[in-house]
Amino acid sequence: MKFLQRRPSVERKKNRNGFLFCLPWCIGFLLFFFIPLIQSIAFSFSKVSVTTSGFELDFVGLENYYYILFQSPEYVDNLLDTLTTFGQQIPIIFVLSLIIAMILNSKFKGRTFFRSLYFIPVIIATGVVMRYLSGSVALQSMQGSAGDLETAYTGTMVNFQQFFEQMGIPESVSSMVFRYVNDIFNLIWQCGVHIILFISGLQAIPQSLYEVSKVEGATKWEEFWFVTIPCLGNTIVLVIVYSVIEFCVSTGNAVIQQAYTVLQKQQIYHISAAMLWLYFLIVACMIGLIFYLFNRLCLKKWQ
Amino acid sequence: MKKRSAQYKRFTRSRFGNFVYFLFLIAAGLFTVLPLVYSVVTSFKPLDELLAFPPRFFVVRPNWKNYTALPDLLSNLEVPFIRYVFNQLFVTFAVVGLQLIVSVMAAFVLCQVKNKVTKALFLIIQFALLYNGTTLAVPQYLIYCNIGIIDTYWVYILPGLASTMGIFLIKQNMEASIPPVLIEAARIDGAGVWRIFTSIVLPLSKPALLTWTLFSFQNAWAIQSGNSIFSESLKTLPSVMGSITSSGISRSGSAMAVTVLMMIPPILVYLITQSNVLETMSHAGIKD
Repeated sequence: MKFLQRRPSVERKKNRNGFLFCLPWCIGFLLFFFIPLIQSIAFSFSKVSVTTSGFELDFVGLENYYYILFQSPEYVDNLLDTLTTFGQQIPIIFVLSLIIAMILNSKFKGRTFFRSLYFIPVIIATGVVMRYLSGSVALQSMQGSAGDLETAYTGTMVNFQQFFEQMGIPESVSSMVFRYVNDIFNLIWQCGVHIILFISGLQAIPQSLYEVSKVEGATKWEEFWFVTIPCLGNTIVLVIVYSVIEFCVSTGNAVIQQAYTVLQKQQIYHISAAMLWLYFLIVACMIGLIFYLFNRLCLKKWQ
Repeated sequence: MKKRSAQYKRFTRSRFGNFVYFLFLIAAGLFTVLPLVYSVVTSFKPLDELLAFPPRFFVVRPNWKNYTALPDLLSNLEVPFIRYVFNQLFVTFAVVGLQLIVSVMAAFVLCQVKNKVTKALFLIIQFALLYNGTTLAVPQYLIYCNIGIIDTYWVYILPGLASTMGIFLIKQNMEASIPPVLIEAARIDGAGVWRIFTSIVLPLSKPALLTWTLFSFQNAWAIQSGNSIFSESLKTLPSVMGSITSSGISRSGSAMAVTVLMMIPPILVYLITQSNVLETMSHAGIKD
């Protein structure tokens, strides 16, 4: 507590009171987040067996990790699958939300309406409704694969596949387009927060910069690349990190699903813990890498 | 303002460009609302239209049957339906209230006191945003066992203490909207910590508080007992509704009706808090 003693007494009193304010949260955090977190790390390094008196842990070192990487049939596939979807989706979401944000940032009638419209998915997607929507007909039919009887009865909302067939487009092309079109719901639904972040970033750009570039005779295109994008530097990092986190934490992706199945259905706790920890480690590395590269390659040059 | 209008003029120079922009906005907007519209429309479809192949988007003969069938479906439950409603409301309000109080107090400290401890805490909070609940499910259950709250209302409520998202949002917003000078002035005038908290910090962080109310409401509304509640009389609405939605094709109409009904409260809360939410979310991007 050295840092407290060096300060004047008023300050010290303030600090003490301050930590009282913090106390309820700290207790909750320790009890329901931190301790479980440590415990689950411990799970991932040991073999958990259920006995009559509770759980028993035997330390096995890296065995669980070895198992999921080299012996478990699906884990690596799921991991790669998640990472590729991620690589496909993030750029699209990024560009899409930047475009929408730039349009919404200009003045026109009804922009408040559109802003709140695009935010609606955030509200719905986090809550109970999404669970129903995804568990019930609507989203299944939007995301489901065609030709499957199961999906056929639930009904495709807008039947793109059929539409393409009628237009006489070869199936290989149509199925590819179909996949992306189907994904549009998915993609646009994830843009809500990013759009808001981009708008606030855009509004922070001083207007004088645009005036200067106009006086210098820059075209709109140059203005975008040399004024807007560099000024958005921090926002861009934030949006990318946010998308990575949102994507990785969502229960929809394959790794989390698999870990959840192992946990709930097969009740092998240590494997499930190891699966999730390895995954989080990779995600954390990715975020770190993005930060580093972006700082190195872009932010320094722009500022 | 003058500058802005000048920029506006430049932007709207080309009619065609404007048209394209607007078209894009509307198309994207359509995609956002389509699932909602679809679920509302579907909830009015009679059974034969639900099962029609090829499926149609719009309903031809709308009726209320899916909704009027609900009381029947809910009448032969073990516990009276009203009990679930009570549980739902009680748990939601308890969780939202608790999270709100705890988060705003902690955020107040993190915003006002700057030293190594609070900095470390904030870093931890940011990292904690990364983790998925699944990781913690089993150890959390063990802790519930140890403090003996399994099969009580506390299982729903207490874990809410650990929320980090709220602190993050509220703290970021406080940094932006409460000038340190104001706090300093209040202190010179002789206001204590509690006084500063209640009469300066709370009113000024109202947008953030409303936003967090919304998010916390979403989550609380969706709380399901999971594996920690066994008595039927303590379960919440989602578990009852879940039994309807998962009971087969013939009830898919009623399932959709349930979905639509459950969707209403969150959307209502959103409509009330809407303008504040957008404002606060834009502060989330400010680096501290």
